[in-house]
Amino acid sequence: MDSETRELRALEAEVAALQRECRMLQNAGEKASGAWKSFQNISQSDSEEWESLKDLRSRLEHLRSEHSFLSKLTGFNIRNYSKMEDIVNTEETEKDTKKVLQKHRLSGNCNMVTFQLEFEVLETETKEKKSSIITDLSIIMEPTEYSELSEFASRAEEKRDLLMFFRSLHFFVEWCEYRENTFKHFKEKYPDTVYLLEGTCSHCMEIRSTRQPGFELVIVWKIQIDEEGMVFPKLDLLTKVPERALGLDKNRVIETAPLSFRSLLGVLGIEAALDSLIRLFSGDNN
Amino acid sequence: MESANTLCPGRKCKGGVLAHLERLEAQTNISNRKSEEPTVRKKESSLRTKIRELQQQRDKLRAEVKQWRARVKEPPAKEDPSRTVISEQEVLEREWRNVEAILEAYRFTGLSGKLTSRGVCMCISTAFEGNLLDSYFVDLVIEKPLRIHHHSVPVFIPLEKIAAAHLQTDVQRFLFSLWEYLNAYSGRKYQADQLESDFCDVLTGPLQRNALCNLLSFTYKVEQGCQTFSFSARLLYEDPTAALPTNVTVTRPELDSGLTEPLRPFWAVFFTSGLEAMMRLFLAEF
Repeated sequence: MDSETRELRALEAEVAALQRECRMLQNAGEKASGAWKSFQNISQSDSEEWESLKDLRSRLEHLRSEHSFLSKLTGFNIRNYSKMEDIVNTEETEKDTKKVLQKHRLSGNCNMVTFQLEFEVLETETKEKKSSIITDLSIIMEPTEYSELSEFASRAEEKRDLLMFFRSLHFFVEWCEYRENTFKHFKEKYPDTVYLLEGTCSHCMEIRSTRQPGFELVIVWKIQIDEEGMVFPKLDLLTKVPERALGLDKNRVIETAPLSFRSLLGVLGIEAALDSLIRLFSGDNN
Repeated sequence: MESANTLCPGRKCKGGVLAHLERLEAQTNISNRKSEEPTVRKKESSLRTKIRELQQQRDKLRAEVKQWRARVKEPPAKEDPSRTVISEQEVLEREWRNVEAILEAYRFTGLSGKLTSRGVCMCISTAFEGNLLDSYFVDLVIEKPLRIHHHSVPVFIPLEKIAAAHLQTDVQRFLFSLWEYLNAYSGRKYQADQLESDFCDVLTGPLQRNALCNLLSFTYKVEQGCQTFSFSARLLYEDPTAALPTNVTVTRPELDSGLTEPLRPFWAVFFTSGLEAMMRLFLAEF
């Protein structure tokens, strides 16, 4: 056999092999597209997959309603949450100790305050006990107009007390709502006497005398959070009177007004105390 | 002409027809031989052509195989409807996992729960300064009136009192109020346990406590040089919703049995930090 014939034979063999391969691949490709096609047909009709999708949808609806219920019940609406886990390897720990570091990211809102939290939890498991400790906490809150909140957030971060943060946040928001409703109520009841310069969300309420212009009382209502996370209101009275009136005030009523207001609060409570003050200044008192 | 002579050696070159015939015969032989060469050449060129053809076919097949290989690997882009069916399932599953994770994350707020056939089973989580502690559950049946089916709240927590005050009017308030009691108790218990374990070499007797852990009594010793002084401490937590004491008394019992001189160092610290910090101060500042 000469070289050309050999070349010819070789080429014939290669071509035959390539043709075989082509046929195989063509079959495989057709099978795949056939599978897609048949799936399409299956899913469009009643079948297991379709049933499981319907089931999945109803389960998701149930979960969503559970979330909505919990959100209304607690007042906290968690909108996003993610977590990552890492096994901590430390040579110092004994063989029976297992340590896992979890990183959590949580965000949502409590009424008008939105929060974004990032925290780390270290879970230590020994033969005797299991413990979980928050090892790092970072809090971002909005709106930032509530200055009391940012101070409170940094304190909570220091103490890494996540639950106290939520508890105090709940009571703070509750007090804010109560303050807003109270101011709104008085504005509606005494529209000519009560002024809310920054709207119902402000912490000041002005009482202007209709009979004697120039006489004003300002109620400053702050909501404070102390070191242990206890939330309480703090109300103060500021007076604004013309100088002449001050001169006439022999009994120093105006000077002692702020203190008297405090005792009034203690006796009557917030609403009744404010109501009686406003009546003093409005036209319709007996 | 020589060939003619060699071919017919026997014959003499006769002139005339015979010679002519012989010459023709000779010519035919030559031309025959001549026509053999082009056939050989034809054979050769057809081989070449075949080779060339096969080469072309081989290249074409190689390209086709390459194409088929690429096509089978990636999913067919044309099959859009089937893809949307699959990705809808993926989307639903992802959403389901997301909501499930959010529901689990509620435990970090202190209040989490699961819907039951009768109502909701609430889980109350507690913590002290970053240490996540025990959880308690309250199973609520949502009927008129709302009632507690069963719970894991310890008997010394005033559950009935809190329920009587808030359960029917404001479930949220009921839950938060209960949470405050449970969280404070959990924190006090944790601190007492830590005191027993961390300061066991300093305590000269068992730590005495009541069930609610709001009354603690213990004796401890302080060594200064070769002298040992023993002290008796009593902590009272009047506010059951607080994890910090309201009343701390430290006395030296070996002095006159009738007279016990209460020491009053660093009162401010006692009310803002936990038991552990307090103990360290007791021991350091003697």
